[in-house]
Amino acid sequence: MSKKITVSKAIREGLLEEMRRDDKMFIMGEDMAVMGNVFAITTGFLDEFGPNRVIDTPISEEGFLGMAVGAAMRGMHPCVELMYDDFVTVCADPLFNQAAKLKYMSGGQCSIPLVLRMPMGSGRRNAGQHSQSLEGMVCHFPGLKVVAPCSAADAKGLIKSAMRDPDPVVVFEHKLLYAKKEEIPEDEEYLVPIGKANVKREGKDLTIITWSREVNFSMEAAEKLAAEGIDVEVLDLRTLVPIDWDAIKASISKTHNAIIVSEEVKRGSYAGEISAQIAEELFDELDAPVERVCGLNIVSPFSPVLEDENFPHPDDIVKAVKRVLNK
Amino acid sequence: MATKKKTSEEKYSKELLLGFYQTMVRIRSFEEHAAECFTKGMLAGNIHLSIGQEAAEAGAFAAIQPQDYFTSTHRGHGHVIARGGDPKLAMAELFGKRTGYCKGKGGSMHIADMAKMNHLGANGIVGAGQPISAGSALASKIMGDNAVTVGCFGDSSTNEGTFHEALNMAATWKLPLVWFIENNCYGVSTEIHRVTNTPDLASRAAAYDVPFAVVDGTDPVAVYEVMTKAMDHARSGKGPFVVEAKVYRYQGHYCGDPAVYRPAEYMENALANDGIEKLGKKLMAMGVKEEDLEAIKKAAQEEMDEAVKFADESPYPDPSEVTDDMYTADNERCVAR
Amino acid sequence: MAFEVLMPQLGLTMEEGTVSSWIKHEGDEVKVGDVIVEITTDKLTNEVASEHDGVMLKIVAQEGEDIPVKGLLAYIGQPGEAVGGAAPAAAPAAPAVEAAPAAAPAAAPAPVVAANGARIRISPLARKTAAKMGVDYTGIAGTGPSGRIVLKDILAAAEAQKNAPAPVAAPAAAPASAAKPAAPKAGLELMEGDTVVKLSGMRKVVSERMLASHTEIPPVTQNIKVDVTALMKFRKMLLAETGKKYSVNDLVLKALAVCLRNHPEILVSFDEANHQIIQRKHVNIGMAVALDSGLITPVIRDADKMGLDTLAATAKDLATRAKENKLKPEEYKGNTITVSNLGMFGIETFTPIINQPDSVIVGVCAIEDELALDDEGKVVKKQVMRLSVTLDHRTLDGAVVAKFQMDLRDLLQNPMSILL
Repeated sequence: MSKKITVSKAIREGLLEEMRRDDKMFIMGEDMAVMGNVFAITTGFLDEFGPNRVIDTPISEEGFLGMAVGAAMRGMHPCVELMYDDFVTVCADPLFNQAAKLKYMSGGQCSIPLVLRMPMGSGRRNAGQHSQSLEGMVCHFPGLKVVAPCSAADAKGLIKSAMRDPDPVVVFEHKLLYAKKEEIPEDEEYLVPIGKANVKREGKDLTIITWSREVNFSMEAAEKLAAEGIDVEVLDLRTLVPIDWDAIKASISKTHNAIIVSEEVKRGSYAGEISAQIAEELFDELDAPVERVCGLNIVSPFSPVLEDENFPHPDDIVKAVKRVLNK
Repeated sequence: MATKKKTSEEKYSKELLLGFYQTMVRIRSFEEHAAECFTKGMLAGNIHLSIGQEAAEAGAFAAIQPQDYFTSTHRGHGHVIARGGDPKLAMAELFGKRTGYCKGKGGSMHIADMAKMNHLGANGIVGAGQPISAGSALASKIMGDNAVTVGCFGDSSTNEGTFHEALNMAATWKLPLVWFIENNCYGVSTEIHRVTNTPDLASRAAAYDVPFAVVDGTDPVAVYEVMTKAMDHARSGKGPFVVEAKVYRYQGHYCGDPAVYRPAEYMENALANDGIEKLGKKLMAMGVKEEDLEAIKKAAQEEMDEAVKFADESPYPDPSEVTDDMYTADNERCVAR
Repeated sequence: MAFEVLMPQLGLTMEEGTVSSWIKHEGDEVKVGDVIVEITTDKLTNEVASEHDGVMLKIVAQEGEDIPVKGLLAYIGQPGEAVGGAAPAAAPAAPAVEAAPAAAPAAAPAPVVAANGARIRISPLARKTAAKMGVDYTGIAGTGPSGRIVLKDILAAAEAQKNAPAPVAAPAAAPASAAKPAAPKAGLELMEGDTVVKLSGMRKVVSERMLASHTEIPPVTQNIKVDVTALMKFRKMLLAETGKKYSVNDLVLKALAVCLRNHPEILVSFDEANHQIIQRKHVNIGMAVALDSGLITPVIRDADKMGLDTLAATAKDLATRAKENKLKPEEYKGNTITVSNLGMFGIETFTPIINQPDSVIVGVCAIEDELALDDEGKVVKKQVMRLSVTLDHRTLDGAVVAKFQMDLRDLLQNPMSILL
């Protein structure tokens, strides 16, 4: 049995089911309670769960994320939303120095079962401070788990798994995916395990490793390439930390060529990190250098004409595949 | 007929005051032992000593109940002793030994003991403890566990944004939170009034309509009284309370810092107001014998000798443990790449 | 934690040193102060003592290797201890750190260089496959970007080879054998009974400097005969009167120093790089000292400012320490003229090679008896000694140096004047 709902509804469903299941869980963030979130992720939550568990915060990101860390140390399961991932810079300390480190620094005495949802991504014409893809920065910090779903089903299955995970999980949600309608299973216990990639399309000539919205672009590119007789595999990582290395290895051992597609600024990107790991460990499997297909090393521009230059579109992916295969 | 107003000393029993005295002496002895080990090169890294802050810490922690929680800072050894922590485990952590509170993974600045002390951890980031303590108070409010969380921090962290962000939220949501500021007047080398516009720091609580008190931190009885009031306030559901104890930092910022930036009068005042000495005199005036006080000192000395011996003889962590405890679930895969 | 033994800085200007010999070997017990290795720098051998107690765990720099200052020489530590991140060879009960599964044995090292010597562009996968299938890819034209040989090129080549009538033996299929030790570069053929000695640091320096001098300088050697009869008497007189015994060499050095006061033109250096001649201010006399392992020239600085006593003492001290390998680097640098004395070996004349950057070297030869006629026609016995002076004809001419030689001769023939 399945149904067709938007990605934002799928996330809402996941959170709702977890709130009903787990009374240690609470939600906090800007505009989460009375308004029910800008993308209607928490509509109706305040009525059902009350102001103790669905909390509208002041615009004090460092303060409320730090409080979520403190509550998590006490065994609560906070789910915090940052309205845009760009704002992680104003609450870097609670995320990177506290949530990520306190378990290790206390010699394992506590877990930080915190979920931080971070809407991200380009394409909404929001300019440089509301459009970034900061996966590379977040994945850098040991202690955090990081997921970045694309489909509605994965968005629901991963947010539920994140809520049940004992470690801090950062969820990158692409804002331009929220309105996409997709089939999801009816099952209330539908979980997508953290750390498991998904072969979205099988192919034999080249592996496209990607996540979030670029999965959809990669699928479009794959169709175009198929029309020209090039058969690519699309691997949707879904989880960035821990990365599903077995899936990457299996795919590249089959196709012997790879590109990595993300919306990140290319320099210092997580795409670059994956590329380095492939070079280190799968060198002898490669028939061509691995290419990163990412954003430019610039501030995300406002004007639509300029912004479209700044993240990979299906045609950019097609071109990169052909470059690597010399076709 | 008007009853004679009792002084603090008369109001509280000799046993309570002797308890303060013992805690203060134990803190000082622990710190002196730690300093000696540091000087001898037995410790790795840096340590920040609580000498001069013992009275405030002994008084404050006497007002904290077993079910309550607290956070601490880089200058946090005194809190551990005052809370009844085990000096052996604390010293071993300073040594980076496996037997330490954090298995040697945190060190002096990061002692935590979630299970026995409800100690949510000392923190190396100035200002990090404010939202963490407020978050713990939020958890208590949601769970309704009747616990108060005490955030302990120094003067300089009141200038971090987190102080204001967290206090605003805690006040708005009436969280069971007490903040205990030990104002030793120095952030590393910078005298607080050179960078802060209010004579007192706790008075900033007024901006958030939060009650506050400023107290002489060399007098454990005065601190105990104020903290008892603050804890009652927070526990009764009225929201946070901020206490500022004026203390002295005998050493520089860290052990070995000669503190050349400080005027001589600072230490003259400090020594003239030494909490241990003052309380000792009061106790003798109440009839306690000098040899009893000496016995307390000697016992502390022996206890801390033992702690050093334990720490010194404890094993270091095995190098194979280096990646342990990063994650609760799927640790191996998460640290592998 | 094992301690690293590093190449010490043995002089201000030292940049590297040669490991001349290891006194302690792997496994030997070492105590603080024990000499563990000898290091040759420039021309000197220095002993390096251990700063730690323990065992020589591993020698990293082999004898004869040149190692930069602070470069790693060896590790000292406790038996079984890991060094340099590597697990100890046979540490009993080592912690169960799981060793990464050994990589599949390396395939035959395939050629990466084309017949014409150019590097071949080939993908890692193509190279691995070529090795596995025994395909020689040195002549294949790649179809990948920039002509890179990719997998399908190897597969096509394999197909072609299979169909070829007489498959060429593919070098890639050659069994993987350890690379042969490289043959000495245009080395000499050894004859029966020959033994080979590695060039010591000092020998290397001497050979390089002598060759440089010999090829860069147009030398002229001029011999002059000196009647040293009076000088020898003077020497005896000094012994009788002062009880001090000066060598002929001391007296020659003293005379030379005095003579150079009036002959600054001799103290010049040819600065070829800058097309100029440098006039030296100081009379710094290099003094060639023969050692078992070669030659070294300690320098007597400002010899013209020394009395005979000081000069003789300095010469003796330098020579002694030179023989004991105890000179500091700055003590064998800065010469502006050099003296080489082969007199004690009976050499009559020779053609000394200039010690660059000097322009002149003075060769001191043996003292011989000679019969001569005196003013009255009587046959008398004289003692004579030749001075073989080589000059750099780029900076100096024969006549100029001849005048200096004559003055030096006159000084030696009237020895009282050298003390003036």
